Amino acid sequence: MPKVILTGSIREQVGGVGAVDVDGDTVRAAVAALEAAYPGLRGWVVDERGALRRHVKLFLGAEAVSLDTALGPDAELHIVAAISGG
Amino acid sequence: MAELLVGTKKGLVVLRGERGGGFEMAARAFPGEVVEFAIRDPRSGRYFASVTNGQFGPHLFYSDDPTGGWQQAEGPAFPPAAGAAVERIWVVEPGVGDGVLWCGVAPAALFRSGDGGRTWALVHGLWDVPSRPQWEGGAGGLCLHSICPWPGDTDRLAVGISSAGVWLTDDGGESWRRSVKGLIPKYLPEEARATTHAYCVHNMKRAPRQPQTLYMQFHGGVYRSDDAGETWLDIGTDRGLPSDFGFPLAIDPHDPDRAFVIPLAADTDRVTPGGRVCVYETRDRGTTWRALREGLPQSQAYLTVLRQAFCNDGNSPLGLYFGTQTGELFASADAGRSWSTIAARLPPVASVRCA
Repeated sequence: MPKVILTGSIREQVGGVGAVDVDGDTVRAAVAALEAAYPGLRGWVVDERGALRRHVKLFLGAEAVSLDTALGPDAELHIVAAISGG
Repeated sequence: MAELLVGTKKGLVVLRGERGGGFEMAARAFPGEVVEFAIRDPRSGRYFASVTNGQFGPHLFYSDDPTGGWQQAEGPAFPPAAGAAVERIWVVEPGVGDGVLWCGVAPAALFRSGDGGRTWALVHGLWDVPSRPQWEGGAGGLCLHSICPWPGDTDRLAVGISSAGVWLTDDGGESWRRSVKGLIPKYLPEEARATTHAYCVHNMKRAPRQPQTLYMQFHGGVYRSDDAGETWLDIGTDRGLPSDFGFPLAIDPHDPDRAFVIPLAADTDRVTPGGRVCVYETRDRGTTWRALREGLPQSQAYLTVLRQAFCNDGNSPLGLYFGTQTGELFASADAGRSWSTIAARLPPVASVRCA
């Protein structure tokens, strides 16, 4: 089962949990499963159109990936707040 | 005890103190995040904060104690068929019916809550008006920032949109009509004014004791309506204002003849004119304006005050408060006759409301 690794302020929305096991064979499905488990995360990673938020990055290991990237059963998907701000 | 909710670029600041005296910080919530707007619903005592996380988007939170924990509301968020995403939550306004609140967002849309602000639904009637594809935003984006309920009437509402004008409903939001008669978009060539959709309303407030009276700060122009927003009268030209440009607007809820603006020099120079900070007051419905400056900086003070950063406290004599993009917060406990600085080093201030 893929694992989603949460960092930064988004972790506060899941009560401080840093890693969540989710079902899903794509990044998009894994994010949807994450939202189903934690409804408070709806709208944080993807907006209501399903688009990845502009300043959120997704990584599988060293590789930046998209919502359409396939996930293997042992994948660790990192959801990262981009280095942007003001 | 007075309580102020100050939305800043780096969190919500809650200040408590005595009118006319000093204020102390009671809490700082959402540190590091942009708090666009915060308000307390006086009916329920519930607080709301519009928070835009730099990475994870805009979200609305509520709390019964602003010094304690906050819960995330369900929405406002567009339904899938709308094909849009909320970019910024500009304003939350208590409505008239039981548990009814309104929320204005960018891209310009109105949301309604019927359960005290826990869940929100798009007002389709306004989202679906035929002219929407022609709407354009100003520098702040295409946003619905002003919501004026009608005291005692759940069906009548006026909203202001930058830059799509004033919209009125008489049936609780089912149907809407644009109402811009009398507004002059001086920023457009004369030939283009008759057909434009680009009416850049900056702020609009209704006088609760005389609901057919509305005041408006326009993008170049100050206006009043005596007929519930159907038509607009120029009250900004040659009546004592140093500029007819600005964003902040406050009214006296007890006196429909009295309103306050804070003019900025021009649309190309959005600072207090001449380096002097002045609030301008009318007590005769905009026939004349006079400067209120005692206690406000009068030299080398080029400040910017945003549209949601000016409010009244509803007391008598009226308390007035405004914050600046350079982190000052000014207060008056005597309807603007004298002012004091109650905070000087806040982050840039986006909104000020009395709890």
